[in-house]
Amino acid sequence: MFRKLINALVLALISSFQVYAQGKIDSTEMLTLRIDPQSARGATVSQLFDEVKFIPLETTKESLFGNIAELKVAGKKFIIYDYDTRAVLVFNDEGKFVTKIDATKLHSDKEDKEKAQSYGFRAIQEDGNDYIVMFTNNNIQYFTMEGKFVKKVKNFSYFDEVTMSDGNIAVKQNLSIKKGKDSTFYKVNLINKIKKDTIGYFTFDNKMWEKDDWYGDGGISQYAPNAAFFSTFYDYNLYKITPDAVSLAYKLILPAINTLPKDFVTNPLYVKKRFEFFEKNKKVIHGLGKSYLLGDHLYLRFSNIFWDKDQKKNLIYNIKTSELISFQDLEPDSLSHFLPITDSGFGYDFENRGFLAYEGGKFYTSYSSLAMFAFKERSADKKAKYPPLLENYLKTGDRKSNPVLVVFQPKTK
Amino acid sequence: MRLPFFLTIGIVCLFTSLSHAQQTTEPTTGTIKGIVRDTVHNYVLKAATVSIYRADSSVLNYQLSNNYGEFKFTNLPIGQMLRIDISNIGYETFRQNVTIPKGQSTLDLKTLVINPRNETLKEVVITIPPITYNNDTLEINAAAFKLDTNATVEDLLKKVPNITVWGDGIITVNGKEVKSLLVNGKQFFGGDNKVILQNIPKNALEKIQIFNNADRNNPLDSSLVANLKLKKGKDRSYFGKIGLGYGTNNHYQIDGNINFSTPKLQLSLIGATNDINKTPNDINTLVRNSTFKGVGTNIEYQPDFRQTGINKGTVAGAKLNYNFNPESKDWNNRSSLSSDYYFSSTESINNNQSNSITTLSTNNQIFSFSENASVGNRVNHRQNSQFTYAKKSHQLDISESFTDGYSNSSQTNIRNASNNNNQLTSTNNGSSTDNSNSQNLNLRASYGYNNYSNWKQRFKSFNMSYNLSMSNGNTDRNEITAFKDLLNPSLNRDFNRNYQTDFKNLNQNIHATISNLKYLLFGNKNLANFDGKISAKLDLANNKNKNIVEDLSGNNYQINNYLSNNLQTNQAIFTPGFSISKNFHKQLSNRYSKNLSFELTAAQQISYQDNKSIKNFQNIKKNYNNFVPTASINYSNYQYGTQQTSVSLVYNTTIGIPTINQLAPLTDSTNLYNLQRGNINLIESKNKSISVNLYRYDMRNKNTLNFNFNGAIGLIEDAIIDSSFIDANNRRNNYLANANGSKYARMYGDVRKSLKLKAAELKFGYTININFNRTPNYLNGIFNFSNNFSTDNKISTNFTFKDKFALEGTQSVATSSSKQQTLNTVYKNVTLTSGLSANYNFTKRFSVNSNISLNSNNPSIGETINFTIWNAEANYRFTKGNNAEIKLSALDLLKQNRSINNFAGTNTFTTSTRNVLQQYFMVTLSYYPRKFGKDAAKR
Repeated sequence: MFRKLINALVLALISSFQVYAQGKIDSTEMLTLRIDPQSARGATVSQLFDEVKFIPLETTKESLFGNIAELKVAGKKFIIYDYDTRAVLVFNDEGKFVTKIDATKLHSDKEDKEKAQSYGFRAIQEDGNDYIVMFTNNNIQYFTMEGKFVKKVKNFSYFDEVTMSDGNIAVKQNLSIKKGKDSTFYKVNLINKIKKDTIGYFTFDNKMWEKDDWYGDGGISQYAPNAAFFSTFYDYNLYKITPDAVSLAYKLILPAINTLPKDFVTNPLYVKKRFEFFEKNKKVIHGLGKSYLLGDHLYLRFSNIFWDKDQKKNLIYNIKTSELISFQDLEPDSLSHFLPITDSGFGYDFENRGFLAYEGGKFYTSYSSLAMFAFKERSADKKAKYPPLLENYLKTGDRKSNPVLVVFQPKTK
Repeated sequence: MRLPFFLTIGIVCLFTSLSHAQQTTEPTTGTIKGIVRDTVHNYVLKAATVSIYRADSSVLNYQLSNNYGEFKFTNLPIGQMLRIDISNIGYETFRQNVTIPKGQSTLDLKTLVINPRNETLKEVVITIPPITYNNDTLEINAAAFKLDTNATVEDLLKKVPNITVWGDGIITVNGKEVKSLLVNGKQFFGGDNKVILQNIPKNALEKIQIFNNADRNNPLDSSLVANLKLKKGKDRSYFGKIGLGYGTNNHYQIDGNINFSTPKLQLSLIGATNDINKTPNDINTLVRNSTFKGVGTNIEYQPDFRQTGINKGTVAGAKLNYNFNPESKDWNNRSSLSSDYYFSSTESINNNQSNSITTLSTNNQIFSFSENASVGNRVNHRQNSQFTYAKKSHQLDISESFTDGYSNSSQTNIRNASNNNNQLTSTNNGSSTDNSNSQNLNLRASYGYNNYSNWKQRFKSFNMSYNLSMSNGNTDRNEITAFKDLLNPSLNRDFNRNYQTDFKNLNQNIHATISNLKYLLFGNKNLANFDGKISAKLDLANNKNKNIVEDLSGNNYQINNYLSNNLQTNQAIFTPGFSISKNFHKQLSNRYSKNLSFELTAAQQISYQDNKSIKNFQNIKKNYNNFVPTASINYSNYQYGTQQTSVSLVYNTTIGIPTINQLAPLTDSTNLYNLQRGNINLIESKNKSISVNLYRYDMRNKNTLNFNFNGAIGLIEDAIIDSSFIDANNRRNNYLANANGSKYARMYGDVRKSLKLKAAELKFGYTININFNRTPNYLNGIFNFSNNFSTDNKISTNFTFKDKFALEGTQSVATSSSKQQTLNTVYKNVTLTSGLSANYNFTKRFSVNSNISLNSNNPSIGETINFTIWNAEANYRFTKGNNAEIKLSALDLLKQNRSINNFAGTNTFTTSTRNVLQQYFMVTLSYYPRKFGKDAAKR
């Protein structure tokens, strides 16, 4: 299904912009970072974060869901996509259930072959109004934040768009630019709404999904109003996107045991055999996931599909001191009420998805109630004092309650 | 991958609370606590081993640090010098002497810094910690536990908190059952837990590794594995037993057994001879019961007092297991060859007396009596081998089994029948001798290709199996009978008949299946979760029978042209089928995973039977063509961390093709009480059944509840039934007919509940068995239904206290009834059995046990029979390694053992008694040689 979506969006051409250009990637400012993930150290939660907040999501018959596959923070609301129930759920900033958009609310057309089912969503703003846009097999459907159906639309870009320069620059992934008969496809596109021009970076073959297998969870991650990182498959480079250009910011060198063969991308031997390669070489890191630069701290995420439990994958690298800290060695303390801030080592929510969001200077992740109650039992000796929201949940909820959102604010100094 | 995580976390959590496991005798106790920290990496160490030793270096207590790096020991002596050792993989051992000062109850050591080991330096092991936690594996280090020199692995496990060795050999770690117990990563002599636990000395063991092994095809059903890692050089071993027993009435038993093991090869040799009903049917039972026994609390391998007759048996066998790649730990990279040979020779003397009541019509019954005495000899050779090869997605299994059997017997019969007025109407006495031998070869090969790990591959699964079964043999039999009609002597008949039978059978069977057609045809498309499968089955049979029958006429035997025959049957059955399945899956992450699947199979069974005989009326060709659909519904509900329940419902159709002996048999008139006739017009029977299976597996840590139920109901259309004509002299002609209305229902269930108390274990079990049959039959032309109903309920309670005392109580109630509507007859029988057994270990060397069972048999006709069997035994072990044993046993102390059997047939009720083994006393001497590792002198 995912591949189907990619194909659909690649074919969606943009037409409202007149000027196209192919951008050159500047690498003059590039820094080479040598990182050995296994040498990472630990730290206490309060050494790295200013605030940790647990928001248990209300459990009612209607609001019961599996886990958080996607999260959008829209003002004071959390919008959640749950793959188990194929529903979007809206909770307020205290975790109280607001509404749910599930299959019963989706509209199926007469000409639709199958009943509409959701495959994901985007939260967008149009004409100053917030909408939840549901992806279905046949179209996309607009809902208000209260869960009211608005309209159906056929053509749509499924990728989130990142805006810079107060909305004058839009950064979009995977667009095709037509020149005469030929179309060229670019992974990253900077669209200047004032100058009405588009610069495309990283060309790609639009048949790439059919020709080969691509494993990884990179993409665009915005960490400042006018700065974002981009990373792509089988590549250890972090590219920095600014309103004007895309440049190579960091080139990572990993220990030999974690590194892909030099000819991994070019050698035809690996084409469509990458799964077998990763199965045999479980310590090899495929590429970089969503990464962020906050103050001196570079939040890095390494991805690999055959997960070696001892491999440290989520790291914080200090670009000034080159100190390396691993998330799995973080020590809970009173700031987090002696509860871990991720479910690493117990569940797989953080291992699989990394941060669900970085919004308003805060990271968002989640873990299951199964994990939460186990963590609480383990910290029983700590006699932690919980804030009322959490205290109440721990009293009234159980291991089968909805997941808990974990929000933490990194120190930037 | 998720489960191993939960499990190991569970292990860590539970092991961190071990501090109460051992107690000191000091009147005042204190607490020591602290935090283990790696300051180089700036984190606390989770699951580091913290051990407390007394001044004499004996272990006082140990635990793993918790998730915050903390440890806390309570109940420690105050004012005494103690030593604290902290160890972790990859770190230098931290060591410090500590004393809880008098007048204080807690000593807080605060943060203890442990340093990573410099890899260039040689590892210096100061003291091995009792337990370590290494990459998802919990390791129990044998050297840290000081036990007797003759202690076994079982003795060691009993000393490890949170590990329980149950009375039935099952091992649980934090309440979770260890599904497989390996030695150096391999099965050890058939994988029998008791053989492993009670034979491997603790001193041969380096460590026990406990980890979770998830099944790739079914990751939710992961299983716990315990691997015994032997010390280097200790992987070559031998162990065995030699035992001699002699008792009253000249009863005897001799058995010997030796087992050798190397990393690649395992070999067992065994032999036993006795006259006390200890002749098991397979080599595994024999090996299990003739190797070293720990001083457990269980009672087993007593003579089988239920076995009928007086039996003298000699058995011998050899078993070999060869591993081609002993180092491989992957489930999909194994290849091994195993082979065994088993010889048994038994001599038995059987006496049987039975009384039957046959109802002809209301108030018209025949009473028959028969007494049978037989002496027989049976010699059997059996050889099996099995080869397994697994690599990646391919699995090949080839097995072969060959048996060669010889038997002879001679018996005499006294049979008579009387009428309602108790008047003897006929007698039918006789004698017979029988010599037969047969050979049987079975070959089975199966190949499977299953690839579910690579989502890109469209061809997922192909399975094929081939079976071949060949048998041939011959029988020489002589029957002498004299039928006397006391009312009409003109009907008297005398026979002296010789039978010589040769048979040759060849059966072949091929079954091929291609599953997951959806992927093959449509790739990763969803297709609303529908999937397909095609299968084909071919069964070929070729049976040849040659009979030469002679009758004594004057002084010479003359060929009986009617009964002598040469018959050949060829049969082919082809069953192509297509299945369509649909799957519904519902899951809520970390909460539950539920699955519902339906499968419908449309299959056609095309059968052809060709009979060729020198008798014209047996030259019959038959074709059958039947639609044999099957349908199944499977439901499973997995609740994270609590329990797993599964239910399945299956509808099945099976076809019963009439054999030539049902269609057109040759009727032998030697036994006039039972003349078998056929029916050329018989058609095939169709058995339509629905079976249900319910299963629950408890995943909680203690006080588990597990159950298993299965049941089936069936309806047989055109069932082949008896149509009997019985005259007043009990002469019976059995014809066959097709009839509808044959039904059956059966149910089996067992429930197990266990409770763990502080130092004791309590287990409850309940099993239920219910059977119902409604069988139509014709009796002298009258159509009748016979309803047979039987139940069997058994409850058992098992109590064990440490390794000192065990008590088991059982109570069972079995009922059976048979009811003939048309004939207005009802027969009933109730059997009650109560049992109690107890075992007490006075010392590690001396133990006594006793068991008693009370049996009560209450038939609706005839007398109530009660008898009690009481056995008692005393064992004493001696020599340094407890390798020698003397045992005094008293069996059936009350001399009451009897064998009573009540059987209700379609229109008969039979009560029979048989001769059985009775009271004896015996003295047994046994010696158990054991050696693990090479002798130091030999090196």
